[in-house]
Amino acid sequence: MNSPWPMIQQPPPPGTQGQYGYQQPPPAYHTVQVRQSFNTQPLHYVPAIQQPLPPPPPPTMAPVESAPRKKIDWPQPVRNYVARSFEPSNLLDDIARPDMEAKLKQTITEATDNNTLGTIDWDNLPLPQQMIRQERAQAALSWQQESVDLRMGGMTNGYTNAKKRKSQEIGGNDEDSSATPPWRANGRFEDRITYDKRTKPFQDDSHKNTSKFQKNLEKRQKRFQNEYKAYKPSPSPEPTSGPVVGTCQDLEKRYLRLTDAPKPEKVRPEHILRQTLDLLKKKWKKEANYSYICDQFKSMRQDLTVQRIRNEFTVTVYEIHARIALEKGDLGEYNQCQTQLRALYAQNLGGNPVEFKAYRILYFIHTSNRTALNDVLADLTTAEKEEKAIKHALDVRSALALGNYHRFFRLYLDTPNMGAYLMDMFVVRQRLAALANMCKAYKPDVTLRFITEELGFESDGDAAQFICDYNGQTLLEEKGDSLRFLSGKGTQIFEAARNEAFRKVDIKGQI
Amino acid sequence: MDVVFEDFRKAYGEGDGYGLSMTLCPIPPNDQPDRFPNFYRSTNFQHVQKDFKYRILHDAASPFKLPIEEGNGWVEVYFTYWKAIGEILNAEASNEKASWVKVYEAWKDMTNALLRGYTNCGFEAWTVPCLYMAGKYLRVFAIKADDAAGTSTASVKTFQEDDFNPEGEKNEKLEDAARILNKIFTTCLSDRAPLEESRKWGIYNIINLLFKTYFRLNSISLSKNILNAIQAYRGDMPTLDAFPKSHQVTFKYYVGVINFLEERYEDAEKHLTEAWLLCHKDSIKNKELILTYLIPCHLLTTHTLPSLALLEPYPRLQKLFLPLSRCIKKGDLSGFDAALVAGENEFTKRRIYLTLERGRDIALRNLLRKVFIAGGFEEAKDPSAAPVRRTRIPVAEFGAAISLGSQEVMEMDEVECLIANMIYKNLMKGYIARERGIVVLSKGGAFPGTGV
Repeated sequence: MNSPWPMIQQPPPPGTQGQYGYQQPPPAYHTVQVRQSFNTQPLHYVPAIQQPLPPPPPPTMAPVESAPRKKIDWPQPVRNYVARSFEPSNLLDDIARPDMEAKLKQTITEATDNNTLGTIDWDNLPLPQQMIRQERAQAALSWQQESVDLRMGGMTNGYTNAKKRKSQEIGGNDEDSSATPPWRANGRFEDRITYDKRTKPFQDDSHKNTSKFQKNLEKRQKRFQNEYKAYKPSPSPEPTSGPVVGTCQDLEKRYLRLTDAPKPEKVRPEHILRQTLDLLKKKWKKEANYSYICDQFKSMRQDLTVQRIRNEFTVTVYEIHARIALEKGDLGEYNQCQTQLRALYAQNLGGNPVEFKAYRILYFIHTSNRTALNDVLADLTTAEKEEKAIKHALDVRSALALGNYHRFFRLYLDTPNMGAYLMDMFVVRQRLAALANMCKAYKPDVTLRFITEELGFESDGDAAQFICDYNGQTLLEEKGDSLRFLSGKGTQIFEAARNEAFRKVDIKGQI
Repeated sequence: MDVVFEDFRKAYGEGDGYGLSMTLCPIPPNDQPDRFPNFYRSTNFQHVQKDFKYRILHDAASPFKLPIEEGNGWVEVYFTYWKAIGEILNAEASNEKASWVKVYEAWKDMTNALLRGYTNCGFEAWTVPCLYMAGKYLRVFAIKADDAAGTSTASVKTFQEDDFNPEGEKNEKLEDAARILNKIFTTCLSDRAPLEESRKWGIYNIINLLFKTYFRLNSISLSKNILNAIQAYRGDMPTLDAFPKSHQVTFKYYVGVINFLEERYEDAEKHLTEAWLLCHKDSIKNKELILTYLIPCHLLTTHTLPSLALLEPYPRLQKLFLPLSRCIKKGDLSGFDAALVAGENEFTKRRIYLTLERGRDIALRNLLRKVFIAGGFEEAKDPSAAPVRRTRIPVAEFGAAISLGSQEVMEMDEVECLIANMIYKNLMKGYIARERGIVVLSKGGAFPGTGV
């Protein structure tokens, strides 16, 4: 153990987690439509807001909407097509009504603009809802390749978003067409602003209405477009009763939280996972990229779980992930693994129960979870209590319970396995507690050497540094040939620091 | 079936809630061992609803007339009850453990039918004991069902989890039961009828059932939500002392224990003491439970031990606490450690181990106090003055006393550490002068509260 406490809880450099994005929570809000450009026409919003339209809208709806263009006498096939689209038996559950209406309108508008109204075979044209479904399926395919875990808030959210996005698209299409709607002709934002001649260059004449600002907006708009389209509604198979049997042959797989029944082609069977584990072990040794490793391990655990694989290999996966998480101070992941391991050990599947039971005790000491500690004690057998690692952890616990810091720091310096990573988490607060204790009991002073030894510091320098870190520099004094700590005067400082340190233990903090 | 509905009419006519609840009991009364087989066989699936409807709503012999809606609600309740009885008879006859899962599901249907009666059919508040009955056995059957299920079934939902949920599988039904009980709780709490006819009067009974369930599920922290909820409603609730005593005692006991587990010993002691004082004098079992927590509490807050007279009626508590008490009194540290190890299983089972462990401080205090007394008095310069105790005591003397019991030599640094703890916790007054290796104790009360 080389100078343990300063290196504890080193969070990974910011940004390493975002790269993998596995912690993006679903939005806890309904997405409110943001104005994407200054010249969207309000008409498109209407269907979105009036979602529950009265059942069969009159087939004259389309003409009404495109009224500003010109009066068109709709051919009978088009009227039939519209009527068919709204027939209840043709409505699809997974396509929201407004989406369908928008698509319908888009189809007819395009046909009108291209003068194909009379040529299209309306009787055999897929209904708008069918088109949407097809589009979504395609988008989903391309999406899976990129697969970034962006979880949608829920079905409805996804739909409304898709709808909203659609309405923007149509706006864009209209722009290209020559027929600029009247409300836009003189209402454009740019036109209402008088530009300084020098800044005017922004306005490129060839792209009439693309200021740089607007370009950015469009870019952003596009970026989101993919996501929303990609949201795959669930035409998925009913969850079958048995566990999945995976067929995926890839060694590496990004972690994605399941929102649906797992698909066999996305799940790796056990013999592949074994190869994955070997690969990951090598990579970890070579690259030590924690966010990558953690992500990969999570997807491995997921594959194991969905296939209900519970054997010694499962234990190994969890143990290795737990160790790596410990080393990196990622208590959240560590705790997840520990919980699983506990259940796995209960089934006698092998592994290293003694080692991890000891960690478990230390972990609960860290989180000051008395109820859990009590339960751990109740679960241990007499034989287990004699095992070196467990005995050590139990001794640590009782030393702390009795305030015996002397014994605690002896145990700290002699911790088996990786327990020191856990002890590092609470050694600072225990040092403060011990100092508060000593300040009240020892008068007038003690040697700094005594502090170093009692509190398990590497050197007098470390001890002095620790005291100074809590503004105790005035308590250090040279006397003769030794440095002394004026314990009698330190009560206030260290009592306050102690209380602060014990106030809250954050266990949720994951890396 | 006529027996059941006679009882129903009688209880309903008299407005006797507890009597009414007895007609929904899943355990037959001792004097009617055939009640359930007869009841179940008296009708069949085809006719059961019609039969019940006739007896509840249209029987000319009935002394009162139920509103149609409420009557239909009761028909539904007794129909589901009848089905549950069928499952119970089946489970008892088949001797197959798995059939208790069906019993649980049937009983849950009954409970839900009852709940709908309150929310939709205007069941009156005096009938809440029926909810007690439903809730009580819902919990019982859930535990039986979980026992039966063992490890065999895994719920379908788990496919969305990244890791499997071991606790969830073990206590699937009991967790489900907790949710239903919570629904009952909300139904009682949110009743807006005037207090005289409010379901709020059922609240503490249901809370106690919930606490009991949470304790068993090891999710005691959920009890907090309940406490917060009634705290929020306290303005329009009768005060606790207006409720039946049995509800009060159980509630205070649980609140006491919750505080105890969260190390708020003062609050714990207050609630437990109240429960202790209210508890019926012959409820030995309940008093024993209360004392199990009150005694360790008392040890920490007041540093006092239970008297023999107090423990006299409770042989189990004697076994639990007497060995430790003796060692604390004598200041016998190694004896204390041994007693703690010996009782560890019992202590952890009751979740008092970690609290009792702290009694070691008192044992140590008593030992150090003995050293202090053995140190005698300062040589008096003035023979007529009151004798003054020797207050400068070598650390080595304390160390010798500690080693005497354990037969192991303890390092002086560790001895100092223990003394520092005593001083820090105000069990001892004075300071350690490390340079000189002595402890300087206060002349006025070196061991506060012990007379020296």
